[in-house]
Amino acid sequence: MNILVCAKQVLDPEGVNSYALWGRLSVDESGRNFDTGGTIPHIVNAYDEQALEAALRIRDTGVDCSITVATVGAKDAKTMLRRGVAMGADHAIEVSSNESGTDGFQTAMIIANLVRELRNIDLVICGRQGSDFDQGTVPAALAEHLDWPYVTMASNVSIEGDALRVTRVTPRGEEIVETKTSTVVAVSNEIGQTRYPSSRLMMAARRMEHQVMDVSELLSEQFEGGVELIKLFVPELQGQCVVLDGDSPEAKAALLLNHLAEAGVLDG
Amino acid sequence: MASGVLLLVTRPPSKGLGKAAREGFAVAAKLAAELDEELSCAVVGEHIDAAANEAAERGAVSLLLLSNSALSAPGDTLTAAVTEAVRTTDPRVVIVPRGPDALELAPRIAIRLGGSSVTGVTEVRANSGEIEVVAAVFGGAARAVYRFTANGPAVIGMAPVLLEPPERSASRDTRKFIIDIPVIEERVVIIEPALDVETSRIEDARVVVSGGRGLGESENFELIRTLALSLGGMPGASRAIVDDGWAIPSEQVGLTGAIVTPDVYVAAGISGASQHMAGCSNARVIVAINTDRDAPIFRYAHFGIVDDCLEVLPELIRLRPEVSTSE
Repeated sequence: MNILVCAKQVLDPEGVNSYALWGRLSVDESGRNFDTGGTIPHIVNAYDEQALEAALRIRDTGVDCSITVATVGAKDAKTMLRRGVAMGADHAIEVSSNESGTDGFQTAMIIANLVRELRNIDLVICGRQGSDFDQGTVPAALAEHLDWPYVTMASNVSIEGDALRVTRVTPRGEEIVETKTSTVVAVSNEIGQTRYPSSRLMMAARRMEHQVMDVSELLSEQFEGGVELIKLFVPELQGQCVVLDGDSPEAKAALLLNHLAEAGVLDG
Repeated sequence: MASGVLLLVTRPPSKGLGKAAREGFAVAAKLAAELDEELSCAVVGEHIDAAANEAAERGAVSLLLLSNSALSAPGDTLTAAVTEAVRTTDPRVVIVPRGPDALELAPRIAIRLGGSSVTGVTEVRANSGEIEVVAAVFGGAARAVYRFTANGPAVIGMAPVLLEPPERSASRDTRKFIIDIPVIEERVVIIEPALDVETSRIEDARVVVSGGRGLGESENFELIRTLALSLGGMPGASRAIVDDGWAIPSEQVGLTGAIVTPDVYVAAGISGASQHMAGCSNARVIVAINTDRDAPIFRYAHFGIVDDCLEVLPELIRLRPEVSTSE
C-alpha cells in the first residue's frame, strides 16, 4: 500500500500568539507578512505531523506500506522532510515554489497533479487544516480533484481486510466509517501524541536524499487560483473595560450583577 | 452572468433554522441588500419544513427545497444535492452557516462549480462590487482579508457573527422550488454511528462562566459550575485546566475547544491568551475577574473586577441564589 502524507511548513503559531499577547504583533510593508524580524521559527504544521503519525501507525499494525511525505513551498523543506524520514517515512518530495501558501486551491491542484504523477498512491493523509490560516481547503479540494472519497476529523485510521476504516469525531460523538477505494483522509488532533524520533534516527536521516520538483512541473500557468490574500491585520483590542470599584469582593460582585441586569443580558 | 446571494442551510434542526443558520441568514440578507441582488435560500436535509418556513418568513425571495432520507448525514448525496442547489441558482456568492458541514462542503462545492471558498469568515463586504471577506488566522491573533480569484461562485463558510436576521413576517412573497435529488450510493459507509445523544451544548448557552489557572486548585472549579447554574448558563474552562484534568474536554473554550457566543461570558482567573479568546471574543458582554490588572483579558473585557476570583465567585453565588432546574 502506498501512502502519501502532505505536510505544510507554517510560521510557529505559538510564537505568533506570544507576539500578539505582548501587543507586539505587526504587519510589514507588503501587508501580507508579519514583521517579527525572523525571530519566529517555521515548523511543521502540527496536524500534518499527526497525519504522518496516522500513516506510521498503519504500518505498525503489520500492513506492508511505503510512506512518502511531500511538502509544497516550504521555506526550509529539507529540515522538515528530514524529521519526517526520521519518524519513519520512506521517501520525501519537495515541491519548490515561491508562493506564500495562502491559496489552498492552488496547493490542492499541485498535490492532485503530484498524485497523478506518482501513479501508485492508494491513500492520501493530510492534517485537517493548517495551524496558520485554518482553512482546511487542501484535503477537501484534493479529494474533489481526484474524485476520491473524503473523510475528515479522523481520530484513528486502520486497514481492515480490503477496507480503510476511519474513526471520525463528530459533534454527536465518534463514529466509524469505511471506504474500499483510494481515499483522502484528514486527521484531527484527537489522534494524539506523535512519535519522537531518536537522535540516532535523526542522524541517519541526515543522509536522506529527497526528490525536488519545481512547481511548474505540476501547475499550469493558466491556473487562475482560488483565493488571494489581500492583507493581514492585527485587530485592535476593545480596551473599553469598566473596572468595578468597591471596598470588598461583595461590593464588587453586587456592582457587577447590577451592571449585567442593566445591560439586559441576565434573565430574571 | 451569475448574480445573487444564496444561503445554504444543510441538515437544519427540526424546529427551525437554528442559531448558526440565523446568523448566516443575517449575513446573506445584508450582503444581498448591499449588492442590490436577490437573496435565495436552499434548505437541504431530511426534515426541512420548519426551517424552510422560517427562511421564507425572514425574507428569502426564492426558496429551494431539497429533501430525502439520505440527506440527514454528510456524504456524497448531501454534497451532490448542495451542488445541484447552487448550480440551479447560479449565484455570485454562497453563504454556508458555521458548523462542521461548512468546513467540508465549502471547498468541495467550490471545486465542483469552478469557484473557490474561504471558511471561518467573520465579515463579508462588497468593495466596489468585488466580494471581500475577513477571517481569523493564527487562532485569532490576526485577521486576513481575502478576495476570490476563481471564475465560479465565491463560497463563504461563516464563523460566529453578531448579526440579527430580518424579523419574521408571514406576508412575504416567496417563490418555492422543489428539487428532486436521487440517493447516491455512498462511497464512505458508516459502520458504527455516533451515540447521537441530545445534550445541552456550550455553543448554544446564553451565559458561560469559565475558569482558568487562577482558580488555584481543581476543587475550586465547583465555584464555576455553581455560578454557571445560578445564572442559567454553562461552565467553561481554559485549555490549561482541561489539560490538568480540573475540567472535562467538552468544557474547553478556545481555538482547540468550543467557540461560544453567549450574551455574557465571565472569565474568572483566566489571563486571556489569544488561544482562549479565539473561542469567546464574540460574546456580547465579557466580564473579567483577575488579580492581575495587566492581564490581556482586561483588554477584551467590558466589565472588570481586579480581585481574587476565589473571593468574588462565592459572593456572586450568594447574591444570585441557585435557580431550580424545574423552573
